[in-house]
Amino acid sequence: MNKISLLAMASLIVGCDTPASYKDPEGRQLVVSLEKINIQDFATAGSAMLQSMITSPAFNAAGAAPVLQIGQITNDTGTNFDTSLLLSKMTVPLVNAGRVTLIESDAVAAAARKNAGSSAKVPQPDFVLSGKILEDRSNAGSTRQSSFVFQLTLVEVKRGVAIWKDEKIVTKQGSKNSIGF
Amino acid sequence: MNKLLPLLALGFLAGCTSIINTGDRIERGLTPPDAVNYATTRPEGGFTTQINDSRFGNKIELLAARKSKTAGGFTQVQFDLRNGSYLGQTANVSFEWLAADGSVTERQGNWMVTPLEPGALTTITATALKSTSSECRLRVISR
Repeated sequence: MNKISLLAMASLIVGCDTPASYKDPEGRQLVVSLEKINIQDFATAGSAMLQSMITSPAFNAAGAAPVLQIGQITNDTGTNFDTSLLLSKMTVPLVNAGRVTLIESDAVAAAARKNAGSSAKVPQPDFVLSGKILEDRSNAGSTRQSSFVFQLTLVEVKRGVAIWKDEKIVTKQGSKNSIGF
Repeated sequence: MNKLLPLLALGFLAGCTSIINTGDRIERGLTPPDAVNYATTRPEGGFTTQINDSRFGNKIELLAARKSKTAGGFTQVQFDLRNGSYLGQTANVSFEWLAADGSVTERQGNWMVTPLEPGALTTITATALKSTSSECRLRVISR
């Protein structure tokens, strides 16, 4: 009996495991974490910010493909991540649609350009995009709530003034991490 | 010890199952996964819908679609959604842009979670990045 019980227990424990599988990174079966920003949160915030920025009057008045430089994006949350997870959701569609000219500050590319003796001038930025990512946590009993605040500012270099600002808050609530929305 | 082991096994078994405690979860358990529904603007105005989740119409209404141009000449579409049910709903939306010939020119693939209180009206705004994008196809899942 003891052996049978142990075997039954072992099989049940094995049955609890979920084998790893591939998921659509834009799908609805992604892990939702309370303690960190998930990949879909960056996508949500980045897409919303992009939509907001391209409809701003000042950005629309800037003409075709204004020169954009990425400034400092401060991560003021408790977890470590690369802020390009947010920025790429904005810069990739903008660049690929030809809506901005993005200054790429890659050291290798700069060195290669210097070695090639290129006389072409690197364009001066019209706009600089900078921002901050913050978090706020609270709980009631076993229910935890995490809010992640994405703040971005687009500064017109010539005048040194902010021509667009927006804030997007992603709030998640629950007692444990889950899968799907 | 003999009595304890089956109890422990039961404990592990309970840990594996989901506790169904709301009507919504029971409904989800009995029906296929929520299907994606579509609303597409038309060149002549208005919009067409493709409802693949039969429960969608009981929960969320697609009231209107307005199409305009931004100052830069890019197409902008606003879809009005209303939660017509007595329960809070969540509309998860994403959209694709189509050229005049129907080909997909750009897409925002990630789902944007839009909670809707009972009776609440919300407007989803989508602005095209490319000048070739003329019609918008909204994708909606209701949970």
